[in-house]
Amino acid sequence: MFLYYCDLAWRSIKKTPMLSMLMVLAISIGIGITITTLNVYKTMSYNPAGERSDNINSIQLWSQGLDTWDDFQSNITYTDVINLRNNNELGLKAATFRTGLAMQSDDPNIDPILESVRVTDSDFFSIFDVPFLYGNAWDKTVDSQPAYQVVIGEKLNQTFFDGQNSVGKTIYLNRKPYQIVGVIKEWNPQPKYYDPLNGAFNDAEEIFIPFLLAEQEEFDVWGNTSGWKFEPMLTYQDRLNSEKTWLQFWTFLENEDQKSQLESWLSRYVEQQRNFGRFTDTAKTPAESFQISNIELWLENNDVVPEDNKVLVGLSVLFLSVCLVNILGLLLTKFLKRAPEVGVRRAIGASRAQIFSQYMVEVGIIGFIGGIVGLLWAWGALSMLHAEFNMKESVTGLDASMWIITPLIAISTAIIAGIYPAWVVCRTKPSVYLKAQ
Amino acid sequence: MLSMKNISKVFKTDLVETHALRDFNLEVEEGEFVAVTGPSGSGKTTFLNIAGLLEGFTSGEFSLDGVNVSNLNDNLSAKVRNEKIGFIFQGFNLIPDLNLAENVEVPLRYRGFNRAERQRRVESALEQVGLAARMKHLPTQLSGGQQQRVAIARALAGEPRFLLADEPTGNLDSLMARQVMELLENINQTGTTIIMVTHDAELARRAQRNIQIVDGQVCDFSMYQKADQSLVSDLTQAAGLQKAASSDC
Repeated sequence: MFLYYCDLAWRSIKKTPMLSMLMVLAISIGIGITITTLNVYKTMSYNPAGERSDNINSIQLWSQGLDTWDDFQSNITYTDVINLRNNNELGLKAATFRTGLAMQSDDPNIDPILESVRVTDSDFFSIFDVPFLYGNAWDKTVDSQPAYQVVIGEKLNQTFFDGQNSVGKTIYLNRKPYQIVGVIKEWNPQPKYYDPLNGAFNDAEEIFIPFLLAEQEEFDVWGNTSGWKFEPMLTYQDRLNSEKTWLQFWTFLENEDQKSQLESWLSRYVEQQRNFGRFTDTAKTPAESFQISNIELWLENNDVVPEDNKVLVGLSVLFLSVCLVNILGLLLTKFLKRAPEVGVRRAIGASRAQIFSQYMVEVGIIGFIGGIVGLLWAWGALSMLHAEFNMKESVTGLDASMWIITPLIAISTAIIAGIYPAWVVCRTKPSVYLKAQ
Repeated sequence: MLSMKNISKVFKTDLVETHALRDFNLEVEEGEFVAVTGPSGSGKTTFLNIAGLLEGFTSGEFSLDGVNVSNLNDNLSAKVRNEKIGFIFQGFNLIPDLNLAENVEVPLRYRGFNRAERQRRVESALEQVGLAARMKHLPTQLSGGQQQRVAIARALAGEPRFLLADEPTGNLDSLMARQVMELLENINQTGTTIIMVTHDAELARRAQRNIQIVDGQVCDFSMYQKADQSLVSDLTQAAGLQKAASSDC
């Protein structure tokens, strides 16, 4: 019967092309707007860590003084990072921050470029499961005995070395020679969850260098430099020792036991730091003075999806509801016009349920067509956002799941709008129309 | 076959109660061709709607084919209509978007027949009414008489036990009306029970039995015919069917 209902629906749609077009238009506009906002929201709220989301954890500490900030800072100070790096109880761990350096190669034909650089530990690549094209991360010993080694990205390798295996070759960063130890495959997690504070939807860095070189080379820390007290900072070391240099610290926790161990270590650490005159907000107990955030929590705490975006999704759903009410009116008109035909069908053997199904299939088809047109609207709107407002392609690209979600939402919307008209028409008394015809 | 006992049908509004049928009693045997006549508003169509399970009734008992159908739910009513009853209406009531074959096929679809069976029955029904060659035509491409024949084919396709016809010739000229009547007579000869509501005295006379409904009640002429010829005449005058009565009784 389903195919029969589809056939009847298609005839009915063709019979009233203007009315059908109006309904499709109403659904498609509502769907187009909803899908546009939903797509942006979904892309932004995607968790690129996948199954490792619970294992990859960032640490936050309540190191600020009394009556300062109301929330945990996403990052921790350089001092705390160094102390955590020295915690041998932790398995994989990586301190990291972003900086910028001038880069050049031996090839005089290629001009130097200013590149965004990730300064980190070797475990960074394991924690974030970074895929390698050539070579590997620098050796773990480099995390304690700094060496001028570098891991570069595939794109950079293409630009400077024509995509050849460049392991062992040299590049210059701020005129210092660095030996390439690894080339990573195209890797650009969106959102850039390992450092959302430096632009959650910026591209991943193409250069990675050992963390210990920071102190040696006095790299600037790009990102948060907020402070909560006055501190004189005359030298680079002063800045590192201050409470104003904020870095990320990541660790990979295999299981709950490791997490418990880390929690007790952090409690002891807070108490120890209080003895040294830090962590002066004693309103919080040591257990309340730290936070271990898995990726999901981390993305949420860093507002990767801005509140405005959630409001927009809500508004677009409201708009879709207005469209739904309009469609309901149009469907009621269309269906009641066909009440005499329903009378005939009922008289010759159709049950109410069959009439109801017939009309629900019709609204489903209208919804499906509206969904496809809505998808085109959404695609156009996202392309326009990308072209006219310079929004990142990673945010404005139509998510593959939308090809399924959109028709489903459109069909559901149409069905919700169609329930009442179909119910009204299937309840009509056939005898009323049989004589009238 | 069809048995109605003390059927009453009351239409109620806030202000008035209208008794469309009151203590209506009727027995129709299998294979009968019954004509139902009566003045406008006498309850003929209400009777036909109740007989066709298109409407419920206020009180009484109604059994069809030996089965009490007084309190059937919607699904069962639809099933009975589909399998046992064929309808023919004054206004033909063909679905304008569907061609003849598709119109005839509609009840077969609801019956769940497969494609081959549907096709066989559609062809056979249209052949029976002499329109097999015009299967792909739309109803609007046919004359009134032809449309009514399609409606008859639609009613016949399901091979019903009953055929309920509500003024089947009301919209046709006399020639067409005669043709349709001949068709109904042929169908009746195959064993199908026919109940036909009509205003046409000539057609009513051709039925095996003529029942008159007056004020929602049955007046069986055969009874009066034997009892009192003048009373029959009075009744028919009151019903505005003098011509029909004088020829029948």
